[in-house]
Amino acid sequence: MSLGPVGPAILFALPLAAAIVVFVRPRWSVPVALAAGAVQFAVALALLGVVLEQGAWRQSIGGWSAPLGIGWRLDGLAAALLLMTAAVGLAGAVFHASRPPPPAVVPDPRFFWPLWLFLWGGLNALFLAADLFNVYVALEFVSIASVGLIGLAGGAAQAAALRYLLATLLGSTIYLLGVALLYGRYAALDFALLAERVEPGLVPAIAAALMTLGLLLKAAIFPLHFWLPAAHGRALPAVSAVLSAVVIAAAYYLLVRLWFGPLAPLLGTGVATLLGLLGAAAVMWGGLLALLQRHLKMLIAYSTMSQFGYGLLVFPLAAAGAVEQAWTGALVLVLAHGLAKAALFLAAGAIVLRHGGGRLDALGGDQAGVLIAWVAFAIASASLVGLPPSGGFLGKWWLAQAALATGGYLWLAVLMAGTALTSAYLWRALQAALRAGGETAAEAPALSPALGLCALLLALGAAALGLAAPMLARLLDAVPGGPG
Amino acid sequence: MALVVLAFDLLLAAALIWLAWQATRAADLFHAVVSFIVFGLLMALAWVRLEAPDVALAEAAIGAGATGALLLSALDRLARRPRRHAPLYEPGTAWGFWLPAGSALLAMLTLAAWNLPAPGLGNEILASLSASGVEHAVTAVLLNFRALDTLLEIGVLLLAAVVIWALGQAPPPLVPSMPSPALPALGRLLFPIFVLVAAYLLWRGSHGPGGAFPAGAVFGAGGILMLLAGARPWIRSSEHGPWRLILSLGMAVLLAAGVAGTLSGQDFFQYPKGTAASFILVLEVAAGLSIALLIFALYLRGKPREHGSWGAAE
Repeated sequence: MSLGPVGPAILFALPLAAAIVVFVRPRWSVPVALAAGAVQFAVALALLGVVLEQGAWRQSIGGWSAPLGIGWRLDGLAAALLLMTAAVGLAGAVFHASRPPPPAVVPDPRFFWPLWLFLWGGLNALFLAADLFNVYVALEFVSIASVGLIGLAGGAAQAAALRYLLATLLGSTIYLLGVALLYGRYAALDFALLAERVEPGLVPAIAAALMTLGLLLKAAIFPLHFWLPAAHGRALPAVSAVLSAVVIAAAYYLLVRLWFGPLAPLLGTGVATLLGLLGAAAVMWGGLLALLQRHLKMLIAYSTMSQFGYGLLVFPLAAAGAVEQAWTGALVLVLAHGLAKAALFLAAGAIVLRHGGGRLDALGGDQAGVLIAWVAFAIASASLVGLPPSGGFLGKWWLAQAALATGGYLWLAVLMAGTALTSAYLWRALQAALRAGGETAAEAPALSPALGLCALLLALGAAALGLAAPMLARLLDAVPGGPG
Repeated sequence: MALVVLAFDLLLAAALIWLAWQATRAADLFHAVVSFIVFGLLMALAWVRLEAPDVALAEAAIGAGATGALLLSALDRLARRPRRHAPLYEPGTAWGFWLPAGSALLAMLTLAAWNLPAPGLGNEILASLSASGVEHAVTAVLLNFRALDTLLEIGVLLLAAVVIWALGQAPPPLVPSMPSPALPALGRLLFPIFVLVAAYLLWRGSHGPGGAFPAGAVFGAGGILMLLAGARPWIRSSEHGPWRLILSLGMAVLLAAGVAGTLSGQDFFQYPKGTAASFILVLEVAAGLSIALLIFALYLRGKPREHGSWGAAE
């Protein structure tokens, strides 16, 4: 048995099996979750190597080929996102296991572990899926696990969780309507089969509109972002990290999978420009709101809304002809954002524990115990802003090249203005650390150095991504069914 | 005759729309919930008219039955507040946004549905049915062709139970005041019938409409009835004894069936040649049992206590 077909099966089954084990035997939670996490990270890393070596493949499930059966598809993009999920999942799990026990606001805080592993399994299932309906089920799985994880913080977070539940279920339902229409028209749900069959027309156009609307709501793209800041800002640190870094990226991933796969024939200049304008508005509006926040975690949450706006620039740039550069640039940006944003939220989690709150004007003064966390915050900020040689720099560089090559100066301007806003709001956060006279939590808990280290490793990953430019270019090389 | 059928269909459609309106707009929540339950029952009838008996069964058992019971129990928790509530949204948003948005969506869907050739995969499924291990197409799709989806769907149900348990402690079980002592006795008497119907539906799944989902829903509804009749769930031991195990059983067995394929060097979820029928039977029983208990667990409205007695005042 080579790792090829077995790896996806492990990534699918292991987190779900581990989730069941820790639900049935809560006292085994931490060792089982950490062991499963470590194995998943190793398998995801190895699979990335296999994809680099052999190229993409599709494997059928249950011995049935499409259109009757379902398949898994592993290409560079899926492998990269699986690895990012594993990195954030493992770091978040170590962080959560090392933090001082939170005040009891829920009946049993150990429910974190089955929900965490279920979420991880759902994300893996989603990144592997090559079938529109299988994607829907995985999306539901991810949404409900996320809702439970947000609610674990208790109090106001439970209200945010309910609002997120309603928004995300509405998104899934709208997406499902689109899936039903495509199935009714083409009698297929498999990505590759649909890519062969879809032609411009009324039914696919309506289906595309519905699916896109549902996914935009799930990705919290402007103006459908209303649920994100409270949900991401109030959750536990590890939960905020995985939601902002991976769960939003999953909705975005589907958006590009669809538009550069089955829906590619429908990607005209009008649609692409509209999506690009939404992205531009998200970059600016999210950045401005982040600048106005007074709470560290809310600042980071608004930043997520802003950063995914860049991702949407791939549509107008690709439609204008710079497919390769726009595709690689946008996806590297999403990967770098994932690592950096998870690092920011974990670092913020440690800092908030140290200062007993997250108000920006209370974060100054004595930083004993959270120095590593601030270093991680600074490095992750550098990547988010796009300083060389970080992943953020690489992604923006490719996007800017695509904009220059196609004369898309509007998109170039958005890139520049967004970068200025990003540096402004992140500088505000870093400045808060240097101020004198902050607060220290009343019963300041002794913080394990592991908290800061988890954030630091993720931040270094984001920064080092820029050094892997040739590898990333090769990995994301094949634009699946792209218009180019 | 055709005219009578047409009149019946039109009446059904009109009633569905009216009930949907009532369920969303009624100021009295009890009224809204009852409208929703009746909506589910009529919807099941609509599925029968569309020749989809499996969907009809699921709609009646889960859409109307289990969901209705859940909504009523939620209503009971709200009962201390006045029942009448402000409309969910301002009249301005209702007329200014939701009505136009809903109409636009409806128009788009109608337009699209009109243009559908409706090819479906019916012929492909029938062609492969003999190799699937069961005679009923829906069961073949659920537990063989697309078993991966079913795994995740049962997973969603388990996940929902975990989420509800994670968010709050279960209140003492609901025992409504009964107008007659005969009602709880009747509830207990009916329970064996629920079990029998569930077992029948489970068995029937291999060759006709039925299977784990409706069977589990009926079994779960029987459990809820017992709860209403005053029975106390035995879930008090540490970590809820075998409860958590049975709740996860369906998903665990489906996962094991999937992994078995990979371990034997085939596809994930590929049953060894000639064993599909036995695999599906085991999966149906495990899934049905879990679904029944999961529906019951959702109805407990929170994490059951691990120690201490249910009866004590909290």
